[in-house]
Amino acid sequence: MSERSVSRRKQQKQWYEVLAPEQFDREKLGETPADEAEKVLGRTIETTLGDIRNDASENNTKLTFKITEVATDTAYSEFVKHELTRDYLRSLVRRGSSKVEAYVTVLTTDDYRLQIQPVALTTKGADESQEKAIRRTMIDLVEDAASDRPFEDLVDSIVEGRLSSAIYNEAKTIYPLRRVEVQKATLEARPEEVAAEEETSVDVDE
Amino acid sequence: MADEKWGIAHVHASFNNTIITITDQTGAETLAKSSGGTVVKQNRDEASPYAAMQMAEEVAEDVQAQGIEGVHVRVRGPGGNQQQNPGPGAQATIRALARAGLEIGRIEDVTPIPHDGTRGPKNAGF
Repeated sequence: MSERSVSRRKQQKQWYEVLAPEQFDREKLGETPADEAEKVLGRTIETTLGDIRNDASENNTKLTFKITEVATDTAYSEFVKHELTRDYLRSLVRRGSSKVEAYVTVLTTDDYRLQIQPVALTTKGADESQEKAIRRTMIDLVEDAASDRPFEDLVDSIVEGRLSSAIYNEAKTIYPLRRVEVQKATLEARPEEVAAEEETSVDVDE
Repeated sequence: MADEKWGIAHVHASFNNTIITITDQTGAETLAKSSGGTVVKQNRDEASPYAAMQMAEEVAEDVQAQGIEGVHVRVRGPGGNQQQNPGPGAQATIRALARAGLEIGRIEDVTPIPHDGTRGPKNAGF
């Protein structure tokens, strides 16, 4: 009996079509049901890059989108996260070679705050000093990239792999690298939130 | 992707039970769910591949009636400081879902892996 009432509630739900942001050509990401339009807001949907581009070779990248706007039967989303799949990342790690990771929090020109995690894998075990140098160049390059780009361009350069290949070209002189990837990039705060933080923050130095 | 509805099949396969939940693509709305106890009488059979098969057939039928054509699969084992590998029900579930006519998209392992947490139990599951 209870089961029947569940299915009846289901029939009242409307399916909303979720669309990607303009940056990703407003591609259809999927559908989600809800009985009220507001309930759709804030839901996240995860796809791979290959699904959006219709290119199965890029299925190692997961992109997460968050729904920010709802129309009558469509929902619009924004980019919140870029991530490598666990199995792909694991497949890159080899015995006897170093994995150099960095965590960089940057502010773009249009005040979006992102955390970017580049990772470099060397051909053989690198010394600590070399690892440190690689990490240094990674951080510098990521900060450079963020300081002269708006949010969309930065996301694009991460997703397209331009940022990681720039790091690769720069850091391969320090130690032979096998691969450089951005393993994760998350949106931490949007311009409004950054502005709100600045207002409430107290100046600590004289 | 083509214009057909997809869902996500979350398969939690431990050594004592298998829980299948099929949701929409956001994971926010549950479309169908089942666990070992709905198909077998004895507790020890809840994790068996046979039970997983029965459950998968049931939920597959349910979601197909709701217009779902295919599912992405997320399998997980107990994880944490217990065993990282999915239990015996995982494989059987995926196979049964495919046999029931659902298209299988990506299969992903989402076992929670600690970045060093608490001390493991004695004889930690191996």
